[in-house]
Formats: sequence, structure tokens, C-alpha cells
Amino acid sequence: MRGFKFLSVLLVLSMILAACGGGGAPAAAPAEQAAPAGEAAAEEAPEAEATAIPGGETYATVTEGSDILPPVLVEPCEPGSCPFEGQTVTVIVNTAGSKGPISGPFYEVREEFEAATGATLEIVEVPEAEHFPKLMTDVTTGTGQYDTSIAGAWWVGDLVEGDFIISYDDYFDDPRFPQWDYEDVQSGPRSLLEYGGKKYMVANDHDGQVMYYRRDLIEDPEHQAAFLEEYGYELGVPQTWDQFRDVAEYFDGKDLNGDGTPDDGLTLHLKVGGQGMFHFMSFSAPFVIGPDNPKLYWFDPETMDPLMASPGHLRAMETLVDLLQFGPEAMMAWSLGESWDHFLRGQAALTFTWGDLGSLAQEEGSQVRGKTGAALMPGTMEYFDAAAGEWKATETPNMVGNTTGGSWSGVISKFSDAPEATYYLLALMATKEKSLIYAQRGWDGVDPGRFSHYLPPEGTASLDGYVAAGWDGQDATDYTKAYHDNFGAELQFPYLRIPGAFEYWNSLDIHLSEAATGQKTPEEALQATADDFDAITDRLGRDLQQASYKASLGLE
Amino acid sequence: MAQEPVIPSGGVLNDVAQGGNVARRTKDPTGMFFLLPAAVWVLLFTIFPLLYALYTSFWSFRFGQRNQFVGLDNFVRLFTDANLHSALRVTLTFVIVTVVVEMLVGFGLALLLNQEIRGKSVLRAIMVLPLFATPVGMGFLGITLFYEINGPINVFLRTLGIEGIPWLSTPQWAPVAVMLIDIWQWTPFVFLVSLAALQGLPVDLYEAAEVDGASGWDSFRNITLPLMTPTLWLILLLRLVEAFKVFDIPASMTLGGPGRATEVYSLFTYRTALRFFDHGYAAAQGILLLFIVMLIVTLLFGRIRELYEVGG
Amino acid sequence: MRNRSRPVVMVFVWGLILIMLIWVLFPFYWAFLNSIKKPAETFQATWVPWLQFQPTLEHWASELSIRETRNALRNSTIISVSAATVALVLGTLAAYALARFRFQRISNGSLTTWFLSQRVLPPVVVVIPFFLLMRQLKLLDSVWALVLLNATFTLPFPVIILSQMFRELPVELEEAAMVDGASRLQSFLRVALPLVLPGLVATWIICMAFSWNEFLFALSLTSNRALPMPVYIAGAEHTRGVQFWFVGVRVMLTMLPPTILALLAQRYIIRGLTLGAVKG
Repeated sequence: MRGFKFLSVLLVLSMILAACGGGGAPAAAPAEQAAPAGEAAAEEAPEAEATAIPGGETYATVTEGSDILPPVLVEPCEPGSCPFEGQTVTVIVNTAGSKGPISGPFYEVREEFEAATGATLEIVEVPEAEHFPKLMTDVTTGTGQYDTSIAGAWWVGDLVEGDFIISYDDYFDDPRFPQWDYEDVQSGPRSLLEYGGKKYMVANDHDGQVMYYRRDLIEDPEHQAAFLEEYGYELGVPQTWDQFRDVAEYFDGKDLNGDGTPDDGLTLHLKVGGQGMFHFMSFSAPFVIGPDNPKLYWFDPETMDPLMASPGHLRAMETLVDLLQFGPEAMMAWSLGESWDHFLRGQAALTFTWGDLGSLAQEEGSQVRGKTGAALMPGTMEYFDAAAGEWKATETPNMVGNTTGGSWSGVISKFSDAPEATYYLLALMATKEKSLIYAQRGWDGVDPGRFSHYLPPEGTASLDGYVAAGWDGQDATDYTKAYHDNFGAELQFPYLRIPGAFEYWNSLDIHLSEAATGQKTPEEALQATADDFDAITDRLGRDLQQASYKASLGLE
Repeated sequence: MAQEPVIPSGGVLNDVAQGGNVARRTKDPTGMFFLLPAAVWVLLFTIFPLLYALYTSFWSFRFGQRNQFVGLDNFVRLFTDANLHSALRVTLTFVIVTVVVEMLVGFGLALLLNQEIRGKSVLRAIMVLPLFATPVGMGFLGITLFYEINGPINVFLRTLGIEGIPWLSTPQWAPVAVMLIDIWQWTPFVFLVSLAALQGLPVDLYEAAEVDGASGWDSFRNITLPLMTPTLWLILLLRLVEAFKVFDIPASMTLGGPGRATEVYSLFTYRTALRFFDHGYAAAQGILLLFIVMLIVTLLFGRIRELYEVGG
Repeated sequence: MRNRSRPVVMVFVWGLILIMLIWVLFPFYWAFLNSIKKPAETFQATWVPWLQFQPTLEHWASELSIRETRNALRNSTIISVSAATVALVLGTLAAYALARFRFQRISNGSLTTWFLSQRVLPPVVVVIPFFLLMRQLKLLDSVWALVLLNATFTLPFPVIILSQMFRELPVELEEAAMVDGASRLQSFLRVALPLVLPGLVATWIICMAFSWNEFLFALSLTSNRALPMPVYIAGAEHTRGVQFWFVGVRVMLTMLPPTILALLAQRYIIRGLTLGAVKG
């Protein structure tokens, strides 16, 4: 009785509230256009297995591509002669459920793997932010709860040098395991698979940031004429950050999706802890890296003094902070999802981020399918060569590829009691046939990075495959070309994988946010970053850090 | 009102202040029977972790493993680490604001719902609900509640003619947003404990006061407040201790940002331990917090005891 | 005396109550809205289902159809009820001891301070040793590890709150009972305990709430089977950001058991009131 009374009070109150709120809402109603029409497709998609935490639908709903399944590659084994009978492989992976990014393919492959090996696959999902701590707690105490972690590439320094994971060099050519083509992985992401000349990560995801632009806007004759009028040169895909600024400025405040409200020139995700530092890395690369300085970005290898406060970094930070005026103020508190959502609603003309956005743009609910162009990140005409200590001009735009991001891929724990079965699983998922489907589908979060993912002439995939996965043809062409150009670029942003990478990056992340929200000037922010770097290096041991850093640059 | 209200013993407050108005306590050894189970239980499960933490605080760490004995280095760092000091400042502001607001609102609400009001039982149950709304979940929801472009709070403010507030993207407002969620969550704690205590107050005192023609305000000032004072100090004590450790809400809502604007002490320690795996320094930070909070508790409540003695 | 009020006062009182109700309930309503909105509508200020947006039950359906949701709810209930009960039983005894006995070697004050200090240390500092301890006890990924921990760390609440309440009871009542031949334990159980019933209930609710919400230990000591709601809610944060619609469903689900409990418990708070009134 009492409970009933309570519930009715609750109900009445919420109705009153709703009525009160109703008055305030119409103002926002016009913006409400992105509601996906075809929910039916989503509902028809096979429901998550009973053992999974569901999810995976990002702000736009499930793609038709989820209907595409990778081929089954290995035969079930005969009971009694199964290679890994009775073993258990436990994988720890970022939470996202059986239909979610990175974790989804493990649920999908489980049956095939278990049938072929006789082993059992257990999947432990942890929130992304807690994955590394949980893994480290396990390996530093030698507990061995997990056989493999689908790890972020920047953890590898700690994991290898702490002697927590094993190399799969001995397994790679062994015919007992599924074979996959190491050379198929493009040089940029391939460099993340090894450490100190040994192979540790089994290729899976390939992360790197590229620029996304609204093709429909850039090709619009009216905009082209107006832009030419205003800036004195042709509107096109930005080649340098100066051009990027002009385009962002030009489109900022214009209605970009036809809903009658002004939209933004660009969108970024700059929340502290929201991977904003990756933005700065890929953005700042061409201000520091150039033909005469292909490697030095983080430290001076002779002294381990941080280079973060160099004139190149400073100009990058100033340029970035200046650009922020063309985006919504709220993005200072945005993580990936909110920023991508903004772009997918057609509310921003430009952004630069990971491969996920390109495939999300193809999904139900996206306003920008068929309008999303992608290209290598813009460059500069001048970079600061830290070794020479001077600015150097370039003839053509100085563009630098990057592999910023997690590139979530499997590593094998030293404390695993089933390392072979574990490698079997990871290798199975790394086969060309499976990887291609993973890369084409949006929902599984595996981004392209192999020649077999790209369209001719760069690679061997077919456009039909992408179209069948739900892609707009032109979007797919631009997208794979952008990734090919990015990962294949002659100059690559030097990814930091020495021990303590997480701590160095955390410092950069926080100080970037301070500069972006006006708590510090760009100069103060970078100086603070450099000071933090010094403190971290000293604490971890300058000599040891220096040795790791030199090795990572190939200087030893 | 005829009689002086009885000033309560001061109870726990005296204890905390190491005082001893224990005249009415016996020295009966059966006391051990009551005390031991809890004491043994707590000792059993906390002695190892505590000693372990103390031990690690003298070590430097590399790859999450003990590396070198560094003596008091980790403690010396506490005094030179500007980031730690910033976290301490953020936390102090947080503690002062939230605890004061929670105490005032929570106690006021308890007084209100201690009246004879129709439906008070349901109202009481509702007011307690936020206690159970997992802070991690509330932190996530806070992201949408305080969403700047079209979030419900800003839309509501705009209907009142107030321009939208940049809740999460500015260092000025982000701490306010975090505090508001904390206040929402923990005011019911104050409410619940003070309501329980209010209901234990002797009714006959009020009746006598009424016979003497005292107004409601007189009764409140002369009976309720003095009788409730020890309990209120006690609640303050418990809220202080909890507020100093605040973690879940900023950890899920702002992650300490923008910059370090909402990086509270526990979040900082958490990062030191489980992001940078500098367990030794994290242990030293924990010990410092223990020291600071116990110092505040002792000082604050030592003073209160003096007041009692002078007054009584 | 307390219920004789003028209309103006009543309007004021109800105005206040209304504001408080909106303040308390709106976040829940918003969580509920999130749970019935399509992902694309998450960041839109629409407040009224059907009128402003078409609600969907798909998130509820997908959450309720899987085992993990039920497991997490069950784990949370087991953990918080057991931990709160253990803490209350042990804590009440200790509270009574501190209120009624004087200890020789260590003063009552030091003992109280020691209990209180258990809540001061940030949990993250002792996460690793507890991980090692639980590994030794073979309790990793077991709800009993969390029962142990939560009972330990919520124990200070009953000790401190209840010893204050015991102290405010007139000791004569218990003395009278003992003169009539009751033992210490009997006078505690039959005389003192019923008189602090509102405090017992309130304290139990508080211990429940803290165990219910505890996140950091749960995160580090469970991985699968023993996962409780807070970790499950945190699991709504994916590689691609927070899935607010699942947060909505999970927060609403998390509220169910405590709501029922709070409704049940508040009867006893009322009963305690009448008993308390008798005592004076």
C-alpha cells in the first residue's frame, strides 16, 4: 500500500516536472532533427549474446554493416586431439559489450576459437580508464588473472621493460598457429607492434588521426566564390594549418546543416582525461618534425632534457589555442563521443580525430553520410628543428603522419599459463580475411592500417566490400586514401613508448587543458609540461629513461 | 520555561578530544566483551594493509614495483609538489562549501520533516534516496545535466532569462558543478542522522515549554538546538572526513579538469598510485591526508570541548 | 504544539517541500529520460516523452535481457546488506562499550579516534595490499571480499553515531533493569537497544548506502562474477565515450532495491519515534 502511494506521488511529480520543463524546451526543438528514422534496422540486428554487456551503438545507431560477418577460417578439432584442450584464455579488454568497439570481435570469434582449439575463452571487460591500472595490478603482483590484454600502444614501454609481457617471435612462423602477414601492416602502425626489435603486439586496431572535412561545403560553388572573395585564394581541402584556420573561420557561425541555427567551424574533444593530448600531438607534429628533424619531438636524447617548451611546440600551442575560438566553448569538456556527435549532426565543418568518425558517418542517424571527406592532417611551411635550434622553411607543405591513439592490440602476459592458446586467438583475429571485415565495419572500432584494407592503387580491398558494409563510395575512397597517406607518410610523428609514457602524457593533457581554458598562457603551459617531464624523468631514473628513449629512436 | 535545558555530556566529542567526562561509566570488565569483536575485526583486516602502505612510503617505484629505499624522500616531495598543493586547495574549498551547505540544508530539512506534516513518511523516504544513487553514475549523469549547449539546467536558466552557464568547460564553474552533485548526494546523510536524533529528543521538555508559553522559536533555541548540538558536531565530523576523500564524482564527471580545477586530493593520489604506479609517493600522500584530517578533527573538537567546559 | 500552524506558514512549508522534492527527484527523472531516449537524442533538452520525443524501451530491453545486469544487482544487494548488518552488529556492541564502560589501557577517546581514523585514509592507498590479502585468501572476484571490506570500513559509523545516542539515554533505566536481576547483556538488549532503534535504522541505512556506492575496492577486487552495480555503471564508459542511455537504465535499476528498503525502513523510524517519546 505504502509503496503504491509512494509510486503514485513519484509519478505525479514527474508529470508536473515534465509539464514545467515543457515550457522551456521548444527553443531546442528545431535542433532535434537527427533522430534516426530507420530504427527497424537496429532492432533486427541479432541481439547481444546472453553473456555480454551490451552496447556499441554510439550516438548514431547500429550500421547495416553489422550484418557482415568475417569468414570462419579454422576447422573444429576432433575431441581428444585438440591442441589446447582444457586450457582457458582470459582476455581483458575495454568495456563495450558484444556489439561494441574492440571487445565485440572477441565475442564473435569465441565459438570458432573454442571449437578449433578445445580451449575456453573468457572475456573480462573493464572501463577504458581502469584497464591499464587493473592490468598493472595483476602483473606487478604476479597474479596472472589475464592471459592477454587488448592494450594501448603507449603501455608497451612499461610492459616490456617491466618484464610483464612476452614476445611472440617464436610463435609467428610456427605452422600450428593461424598465419598472418606482418608486412601487410603499413609501416607506421607496424612500428608499434615491436619493441626493441622483438614482436609484442599482435596487429588488431590501427589508430591515427586524420582531418575530416565536409566535402559538400568545400565543393559548394557559392561558398567557393564567397571564400575566394574573402580570403583571396580558392577554397579547398586545407593543406596547412593556416588554411585550416581560414576555412574554420569562414564556416564558423554559418548554418551548415540547414536547420536554421548557426554552426561551428570545427569541433575537438579537449576534456582532461578525454585524450585531448593526442590532438595536440598530431596537431603539433609539423611544427616540430620536418625533413631535417624526423625524430626529435619529446626529449633531447643526449641529456633527456624535454623539448616541450621549444619554439616549435610553442607556436603549435599558440596556433591551436587560437583555433579554438571557431569551435563551441563546451568542447573544453567534451570527450570523443560528444565531439563526434557534433560533427555527425552536421554542426561543424572540420575536425581531426580517429578512424571511427569516418565509419560512424556512414551509420543510421548520421547527417553527413556521403559528405564526409578525409585527408592527411594539414602541415606547415616552417618547422623548428630542435637539433639545429632554428626555424626551417619548406617549399611544399610539411606534412607529418601519425599513429596517435591506442591502436588497441593484444599482448601476451608473462604470467599466462596458456600463452600458445592465447597467441592462437590473437593470430586468428589478425588474419587478413578477418581484419578486412573488422576494418570495414563501423561498430567494431577496428580502424584500417593495412594494405589489404585500402582500395587500389594503394591496396587490394575492393570498393564493393566497403559499399556492402554500408559505406558511401566517395567517403570510403577518401577515407582509405587518407589513412594510407597518413600511415605511409615519409615523416611520422614519433610515438612515445618509453616507461612512464602515461604519466608524461597526463601532464601534457592537463597543461593543454589549462592553456585551452585560459588558466595559463601557451608559454606557461608548455614550460609547466617541460618541468613535469623533468621531474618524471628524474624519478624514474634519468639514465634508464635515456637508454629507453635512445633505443626507441633507434640510436643505439 | 522553568528549567535549564540539560546540557548533554558532549559524548564522542570529548572522546575525540581525548577528554574524560566518563563519570557515569563503570569499569566493569564485561566492557571488553562488547568492545572486542569490533576492535579485533577492524584490526585484523586493516593492520596488514596499513603497515604495507607505511612500508611502501619509504620506497621509490619503477614499473609498479619497489625499486629503491629512499627514506623520507617521498615525504619531502609532499612539501615541494605544487600539483599536490593545488589538489589540497581544491579539496579544502570543496570541503568547506559542501559541508556547510549540506549541514544547513540537511538539518533544516530534518526540522521541517520532523513536524506533523501530511505524507511525511513518504517524504522522508524520498529525501533519503540520493544516498543510494551511486556517485559514479551521478557523475556521468552530471555530464548531461550540466551539458552546456542544450542541457536541462541551462535550458531552465534560459527560460528565467539567465544566459547559459559554462558549467563544465570553465575552471570557475566546473568545481561548482561537482559541488552541486555532491551536495545533492550527501545532504540526505545529514538529514537522516539529525532526524533520527531529533526523534530521540524528550517530548516532555517541549510540552513544559509550551505550558510556559514559549514560542516555537524559543523552544528551538532553548531546547532543540542545545540538545542537538553534540549530534550536529558529530555529523559535521563524519561529513568532514568523507568530504576530504571525495573521489567518485569528479573522477567520473570532470576527471579533474579543466586543467586541475577539480582535481581533488583523492583523485590526485589515485593517479599517483594507479596511473603512474608511484605507490610510495601515493602512500605518503595518504599518510599526509590522514595527518591533516586527524589534526583538524582534534583541534576543532578540542576547542569545542573547552567551550562545553566553560559553559557547563 | 508543533502541529498547530497558520495557513501562511503552511504555504511556506509546502513551498519549501516542493522545491526540495524537485531538487531531489529531478536527477532521477533525468536518468529515467536518458534511459528511454535514443542515443542521438541524449544531448537534447526534451523533457516530455511522446510530446517531444518518441520514447524507446530498447535500452531497458537489452539491459534486462542479459545476465550481467541481474548479477550486478544481486551482488550489490548481497554485499551491502551483509556488510551493513555485520558492521551494525559489531559496531553497536562497540558503541555501547564506549558509552557505558571506561577502558583502562587505552582511553575511550583514543579508541573512538582509532575507529574514526579507519575512514580517513583514501582507499587507493591500500588497494594493492588488499588485493594481495584477498589473493592470499582466494577471494579475488568474490562478493565476500567486498563484504569483508565494506563491513570493516563502514564500522566506524555505528560506533560513532550510536555511542553518542547510547550516551544520551538515561543510564538509570538500565541500572533499574539490572537491579531487577537482568545481566549486562540483557539490559543492553532489552532496554538500551530498543530505545536507540531510530538510530539503528538510520545507521544501518548509512552503512548500506556506503557499501552500495563503494567503487574503488569493487573495481580492483572483482572482474566478472562478483561485479557490483557501481563498477557495472562505470562500464557504461566505452572506448568511444560514455553511453548515457545505459547509465540511465543502470542508475534507475540501482535505485530499485534501496527505494524498497527505504520505504520499509521508514516504518521503523516512525515506530522508533513513539518509543523515544515514551522514554522521557
